[in-house]
Amino acid sequence: MRKLYSNKKVILSLVAPGLLVFICAILAPICLSVYYGFTDYSGMGTPKFIGLQNYVELFHDAAFGRSLFNSFLLALGFIFIQHPIAIVVAAVLDKIGGKAESFFRCVYFIPNVISVAVIAYLWKFIYNPDFGLLNNILHAFGVKESVNFLSQQTAIYAVLVVLIWHGFGWGMLIYYTGIKNIDPVLYEAAAVDGAGWWTTFFHVTLPLMKPVIQINVTMAIISALKQMETVYLLTGGGPANSTQFAANYLYQQAFKAFRYGYGNAIGVVFIALCVAVTVILNTVFKEKEV
Amino acid sequence: MNKRVLALLMTGVMLAGVLTGCGGSSAGSNQSASNTEASADGEVTLKVFSNLPDRKNGQGLVEQMIIDDYMAENPNVKIEVEALDEEAYKTKFKAYAMDGMPDVVSIWGQPSFLDEVLDAGVLAELNEDDYKDYGFIAGSLEGFKKDGKLYGLPRNTDVQLIYYNQKMFDDNGWSVPTTYDELLKLVGDIKAAGIAPIAMDGGDGWPMATFLTDIMVKVAGTDYAKSVSDSVAAGNFDTPEFKQSVEVLKQLVDAGAFQTGYDAQDYGTAMNLFTNGQAAMFAMGSWECSMAKNEDIPEDIRTNIRAFTFPVIVGGKGGANDIAAWNGGGYAVAADSAVKDEAIKFLNYMYQPDKLSKYGWENGVGMSAQDQTSYLTGDETELQLSVMDMVKNATSVSGTPINDCGPATFKTVMESEIQGVSNGSESIDDFIKAIGEACK
Repeated sequence: MRKLYSNKKVILSLVAPGLLVFICAILAPICLSVYYGFTDYSGMGTPKFIGLQNYVELFHDAAFGRSLFNSFLLALGFIFIQHPIAIVVAAVLDKIGGKAESFFRCVYFIPNVISVAVIAYLWKFIYNPDFGLLNNILHAFGVKESVNFLSQQTAIYAVLVVLIWHGFGWGMLIYYTGIKNIDPVLYEAAAVDGAGWWTTFFHVTLPLMKPVIQINVTMAIISALKQMETVYLLTGGGPANSTQFAANYLYQQAFKAFRYGYGNAIGVVFIALCVAVTVILNTVFKEKEV
Repeated sequence: MNKRVLALLMTGVMLAGVLTGCGGSSAGSNQSASNTEASADGEVTLKVFSNLPDRKNGQGLVEQMIIDDYMAENPNVKIEVEALDEEAYKTKFKAYAMDGMPDVVSIWGQPSFLDEVLDAGVLAELNEDDYKDYGFIAGSLEGFKKDGKLYGLPRNTDVQLIYYNQKMFDDNGWSVPTTYDELLKLVGDIKAAGIAPIAMDGGDGWPMATFLTDIMVKVAGTDYAKSVSDSVAAGNFDTPEFKQSVEVLKQLVDAGAFQTGYDAQDYGTAMNLFTNGQAAMFAMGSWECSMAKNEDIPEDIRTNIRAFTFPVIVGGKGGANDIAAWNGGGYAVAADSAVKDEAIKFLNYMYQPDKLSKYGWENGVGMSAQDQTSYLTGDETELQLSVMDMVKNATSVSGTPINDCGPATFKTVMESEIQGVSNGSESIDDFIKAIGEACK
């Protein structure tokens, strides 16, 4: 057996399928993107090489800057609003036990089960100034004027609320599994030592959840960068690019503005950003572990 | 040794899986290519790629009726329709442009769409002389030409309108404004009554741009087309007539002419406001004339829908009969179609005056780009007749709406920035600068 595995041809033949898939489905498209990023290709006809022009323009593009800023806001929202609540809710769920536990676990996960399209339209109606739920509640409290939640100034926060709410179930479920994996003996020991609920949470639960938190934070940042579907359906990046996100902007440029080359340049910068963020997060977390 | 053979076998199976995965797709594309070719026994399959996914109502129904007629008259021809809505259509159109177009396709005779498409050479040239007797309205073919050669045919004549609810106007003692100042006053009156004055689909950007086109027609009159094309060519929209038009738009928004949150609402939401009686007016093109025949709209609203064009602006060069109208959507034949002759034959069949024009008129979908006077049935809706009169009495028509006059980049920038300039988050000067730069 060992002889078999040390045969280079066998190794190659075992690695080849995976490698082929990687090359065909990931590496080659990225290389093509890099190539098209240097051209003025419209998606039809023949591409013309224009050097770094796309990247120079991208650097000055206010809409692209805005979309990165929005991704950054969303990542902050995930990390500082969604995740703390998710951890606490997961810990509380873990304590409740019994039928209530499985009931609430289900309820919190429901938004994740519903399709993004439904979520987007649901919130579109909730925010609507004429017949929306939120405005009706405000009217019930005596507010006369209709509030436009999706206005230029507030739309991005309205979108953040939807995204944070929508992704909440996933985060909570992962934390919940993490908490379930903590050895109950530790809690007993803490209880014997006279630790209260908060002390147990901060000194037993949280430290043991560190690997789970790391994974969740990394995933939150990546998903903040990748955000597309909800925004596309809810606001389309508007009004006037105020809720623009990189992936949505890429789509608009490549497929609506006939700027396939520019869209690919956005894609290349986008990939570079995602890789950079992942590498940085990995090194940060590694240092902490030591 | 046996294990070694086994391992190699397993790898072989895996590799075969990967390779057939790749092979499968190429076989698929071969098949789609051969699909369009005429087979030996005279059977022809025509592929039609359409931007009208609703095949049971309006324009889509008309298109399907003609297709069914054609198949009935030509038993050897089978027509396969693939229909997607506009945005998805344009995306897939590009994918098709790269690896083989369907035989007959929907197109738009406007620079923002057609320039790139014609540069790529994917559409077949048509013989203009063939269409002498088809009754096309003068000038309607211009948008579909490049260097004097014809590449497509227009389907509709579109007019930018402000629909209004006649009954609501009468009940409240409002009247149709004849000047811009009257419109401003009307907006104030309607708002005071607690109703949204004009329902606007501002989330999409383009309806506001076509609305702006109507304003500019009243400001610049017959100079509209030249002013816009000069601005696009120079990448500079800092002209007095354009600036004044944007100011008028801004003034209307500031006066509360559009519903709250108009800049984030979509087509359906805006239209529903009007068809439910929550808005007194609705700014949209003449293709929505079929509202008057739509059974889903409450009868007392449906039968009371009327329309007017943007009123005259004091000091503007445009008169009441200078209207914003254009011939946008249409059809073309793919240059590399394997059954090009049959495809052109079908295209010509569609445009026989008793097909698209007649069927379209009978179904209330608005006006075709051809002479329709001989198809009056006597049970047209009042809305239909009044819009027809607008076109008949027009002293000038604008041609292509402003957002479609430049390259595709200009269109996307304009449709996004117009939200910003209207809601006040961007100054008029910045707006003018941004769309000017998008032309370069």
